Amino acid sequence: MRRAVSDVGGTFTDLVLQDAETGRFTITKVLSTSPDPSVGAIGGFETLIEAAGVEASSIDYLAHASTVASNLVIERSGGRTALLTTEGFRDVLHLQRQKRAVSHDLFYDKPAPLVARRDILEVPERMAADGSVLVALDEERTAELIAEIAARGIESVAVVLFHAYVNPDHEHRVREIAGEVAPDLLVSLSSDVSPKWREYERSSTTVINAYVKPRVGRYLDGMQAALGRLGVARALHVMQCSGGLATVEALKRHPVTLVESGPAAGALMAGILGRVSGRDRVIAFDMGGTTAKVSILQDGEPQMVEDFEVAPTTKLRPGSGLPVTTPAVDLIEVGTGGGSIAHLELGVLAVGPESSGASPGPACYGYGGDAPTVTDANLVLGYLDANYFLGGDLVLDAAAARQVIERDICDRLDLSLEEGAYAVHAVANASMANAMRAMTIQRGFDPRDFGVVAFGGAGPAHAVSIAAELGSREILVPANAGVSSAMGLLFAPIKFEFVRTLVTRLEAGSLKQMNEVFAELEERGATGLAEADAADGASFVRNALMRYVGQGYEVAIAMPPGRLGADDVAATRARFLETYERIYGYAEPRGELEIVDYRVTAPAPAPPFELPRHGRGDAAGDAARGSRDCYFPEVGFVESPVWDRYRLDAGARIPGPAIVQERESTTVIPPGAAAVVDEWQNLVVSVGEAS
Amino acid sequence: MTVDPLTLAVISGGVVAIAEEMGWALRRTSFSEAVREGEDCSASVFNAAGEMIGAGNYAPGHLGTSPTAVAGVVAAYPTEEMRPGDAFLVNDPTMNSGHFPDIFSIAPVFYGDEVVGFTVVTAHHVDVGGAAPGSQAIIGIVDIHQEGIRILPVKYFSEGKPIREVLDLIATNVRIPDQVVGDLRGQFNANMVGAAKVCELIDRFGLETYRAATDELLRRSHAAMRDHIDAIPAGRYEFVDHIDDFGPDTEPIRMQLAMTVGDGRIVADYTGSSPVTRSGVNSYLAFTTAYTLHATLSVVGPRVPLNSGTMRPIEVTAPPHCFFNARYPSPTGGRAIVARYLVDGVQGCLAQAVPDQVVASSSQLANSTIGGVDLEAERPWVYYDLTFGSTGARPTKDGCDGLVSGFNTGNIPIEIHEAKWPVLIDRFGFIADSAGPGTYRGGMAVRRDVRNLADLARVTNLHDRHLFAPWGLFGGGAGSLGRIVLNPDRADEADLHSKSIVDIGPDDVISFRTCGSGGYGEPLQRDPDAVLHDVLEGWVTVEGARRDYGVVIEDDQVNEAATAALRGMR
Repeated sequence: MRRAVSDVGGTFTDLVLQDAETGRFTITKVLSTSPDPSVGAIGGFETLIEAAGVEASSIDYLAHASTVASNLVIERSGGRTALLTTEGFRDVLHLQRQKRAVSHDLFYDKPAPLVARRDILEVPERMAADGSVLVALDEERTAELIAEIAARGIESVAVVLFHAYVNPDHEHRVREIAGEVAPDLLVSLSSDVSPKWREYERSSTTVINAYVKPRVGRYLDGMQAALGRLGVARALHVMQCSGGLATVEALKRHPVTLVESGPAAGALMAGILGRVSGRDRVIAFDMGGTTAKVSILQDGEPQMVEDFEVAPTTKLRPGSGLPVTTPAVDLIEVGTGGGSIAHLELGVLAVGPESSGASPGPACYGYGGDAPTVTDANLVLGYLDANYFLGGDLVLDAAAARQVIERDICDRLDLSLEEGAYAVHAVANASMANAMRAMTIQRGFDPRDFGVVAFGGAGPAHAVSIAAELGSREILVPANAGVSSAMGLLFAPIKFEFVRTLVTRLEAGSLKQMNEVFAELEERGATGLAEADAADGASFVRNALMRYVGQGYEVAIAMPPGRLGADDVAATRARFLETYERIYGYAEPRGELEIVDYRVTAPAPAPPFELPRHGRGDAAGDAARGSRDCYFPEVGFVESPVWDRYRLDAGARIPGPAIVQERESTTVIPPGAAAVVDEWQNLVVSVGEAS
Repeated sequence: MTVDPLTLAVISGGVVAIAEEMGWALRRTSFSEAVREGEDCSASVFNAAGEMIGAGNYAPGHLGTSPTAVAGVVAAYPTEEMRPGDAFLVNDPTMNSGHFPDIFSIAPVFYGDEVVGFTVVTAHHVDVGGAAPGSQAIIGIVDIHQEGIRILPVKYFSEGKPIREVLDLIATNVRIPDQVVGDLRGQFNANMVGAAKVCELIDRFGLETYRAATDELLRRSHAAMRDHIDAIPAGRYEFVDHIDDFGPDTEPIRMQLAMTVGDGRIVADYTGSSPVTRSGVNSYLAFTTAYTLHATLSVVGPRVPLNSGTMRPIEVTAPPHCFFNARYPSPTGGRAIVARYLVDGVQGCLAQAVPDQVVASSSQLANSTIGGVDLEAERPWVYYDLTFGSTGARPTKDGCDGLVSGFNTGNIPIEIHEAKWPVLIDRFGFIADSAGPGTYRGGMAVRRDVRNLADLARVTNLHDRHLFAPWGLFGGGAGSLGRIVLNPDRADEADLHSKSIVDIGPDDVISFRTCGSGGYGEPLQRDPDAVLHDVLEGWVTVEGARRDYGVVIEDDQVNEAATAALRGMR
């Protein structure tokens, strides 16, 4: 069994090949390409199989994660898209929810919709909130409008009709008519993409789906075809924001689940590593070239959310992005990566969110970057080895790094070179520590109860200081930390999620409806799994999103499989009250309850997990690689031993200050901290009790 | 003691994050659409001295009056007598955000056995009883006791347990008790969530550091505001505007504002304004102060966090029984429309001092209530409408189409309204040619048509700027006037007065039309391509482009020669 995966990030594309027979892992890291990231991914794949010395045709399994959909939305670079909606409601997408994300900013603007107002067309029809038809669909007008959309040269249309989450009949009929009038037009129905109430949020989600559909489709088809030309016979599996893989066919229908999907694989990997090494609560900290991502996992399972926002106009301000209502791994992304640019804002040092990306990159890359970045600062501080970045594939220019930091930071703030560089490092840390705090404290978790799993190219250089600030005492740096997200793709399950809104009282009289909805959703899950050849051994996970009658937000309650009976009603009620009290402190015992959304997850069994031995076939030997001067604010520049990660044996103990190098990342162990190599080849760093 | 910069940043950010989380907990547990969808609520954290140290991104009227409410509670219930798990309510306009529906819940934060601060959670309750469903009627109201239940500071949770007598008394005096009591319970939960988080923060840094850091935060915020004020040319800036009226055949209400800037302070004085009205629209001083402060902060120091230090250099005054300093028992249920004038008045004054930091006049909100009686269920129903328009044009760009101004609340999804109340929304969208023209145009007016499905319903309108349009700045034109139309495009179509109370039958439609917002700069200076874009998007008609901007559009293109000729003639 040979499995190959690729993970396209903003700066780097990471690829891993796992050969189950030899137990060998081959790793490749290449720069991402823009505007078409598949160019870099395919090039990287060729490098990968060459390095592994295998034929493309011998690959048995392929998985892929990509930022392509997010970038289309962020850069507004999808194609022209239309929206067909109920008469009277052309402006829902532009009106949005009308709240200001920043109360006092008179210059605040809402996120610009992805569809121009002229391309939003109204059709006479109307459903009531109970799904009864008030105005029949005007089919003739529908046909005219579809023809008009096609005549405008538009490839993709979103269809959002009022209350379609209760009764999708009219949306289904629109799709049929579109199939007759304009068979090539791509149609996204709100009742498929996001069958939940709140018309703006449903419209936004459906429109994003329609907006990215043509280009994502071409991208995925292009990837598949290019791999085919190289001789790969297998179908591609692609990561979704829920942390599950799906087939190309499923994602071409439902590409909105590709948005913000890149970081999900890394979160899964952190969970797996936590679980196998006996840590049931971990914070996944993934710092790459452009951003840092934080998520939390309990018992290996990521914390999930029912909705999220993409492309915010104001960083970290809820309400300033486009809402997406689809289940997703809960993560916070902040604009601090290795390539993030340090600059002064009102005289105060700030880092990111602007990034130098892969091109021109940090000043020390020598590709023409002229702004100081986090990577430049880390090089000046001695944390990085100029001759061993990407294993020496990229020789860094330390003089260039020093020059931009002196010019743009030190001279303006009257700091010494090392103080200026450390300030950049520390400001980036503070921003990421805030993200971790938001992810834990603000969600009711104590960060001291969590270990930190640090990965991504830049993560291990920053994680120990951040964790210490947060009160976490243990940091786990996995082997091959620089490509952990790609590793996560190797072990991710194929998974489908389906949700439907149907407001039902939690009482025995509702059992018929409850059973029908779960059956319908499980049928859709089964279809998806069958398409992915993953139906064997699959089981369904049911959740009911519930609340007190009269409320507007829900709590997810696990539901038993099979046909539900009266006992299940009482048990569900008890579970709701218990959960509600845990979250909000007090649950009114007499309140009436209702189910709002039904959710079914259909995960295929995850591939067997096997930890990489990261090429330790090449004779273990002396791991010491001399030393270099590294700067730590408490002690200044201090001679710090450098260790070769690949030659460290289980049980090895490394007191700080020290540097542990591997090709794709560098772990910084500050004074007062110490690392031990565990049996899984993880570097486990402890920070003193005093911190 | 001095606090290191990183600790200061963590604690300052921490108290804001706690306030945000309290608001989140309230919305998730709330029963009313106004709170959980509209976010007509707020949450903030106070120190033991009754100073606000952190606030979430919520309704400025609620936040700006929270210090007065805390002072009111502490005056009635000495801190020494408070116990952990106690919480207090107040909705009197002398202490809260200006009308009965806004009920504030205030709880002490205990660290050990010491009160180290307070958490404040506010919510607009859609009905608190009184003459009209929604408790916001203007016509026929002569004193405040017609406006619902009045709550001077009263304890409603004692050591973590609800005081049943208090909650029952409130429940029996409002039209939709399940929502009101459900939200009060949610407010208490949010208070407790906040108190627990404050204690966690103190656990991390120690009480002494926490106090030193929050004091330093107030000092720095105060200093930052003073610096921002000093950057404004000193002087006295005056502005006059008019609220349409307070019922059919009544006089306009004059707002006269003078802002005196200098010595690191701003004094806003409403002397010269009309006296209080004998109707449901008046503004108590706490409310006048809150919105004057909010608007001043937006212009002068939008990046300074909102807290008591930030508020310190701004003083708001008005003579007693002036419209802007109403006293008990003057009624005030319909005061929502006043916020617009307070915010715009500050822009009008400061436009003379810092023209590149202000915006033109923004849309008034339409905040009518439709209510009735469900005979079968033997209970009243109340549909609360929030139709917001757009914001005024800015010195560097157009106004924002479909964005609330002043209030920081959101609209309520139509699908949620329709699932709950006997109404059907027929349309919700922008009105073409409604924006005040300018080099930068104002935001568009918004229309929402609500169809009544019940037998008989009473509409209590709360709207304004049907007579005095939102003004533009520096040559920018005014936005369109607001309207409320009964049964549009039917034989019995009629324009309704902005504050009218009307009974409607099944299938009657009320069409709320906000005003557009004012423009900024000469319309003839507007880039013709921007006008073309507006025409293609349907914001401006071809006729509007010619009339308001002197731009001739033919076949979806700018006729440049004809445009130059037309503009040259003006």
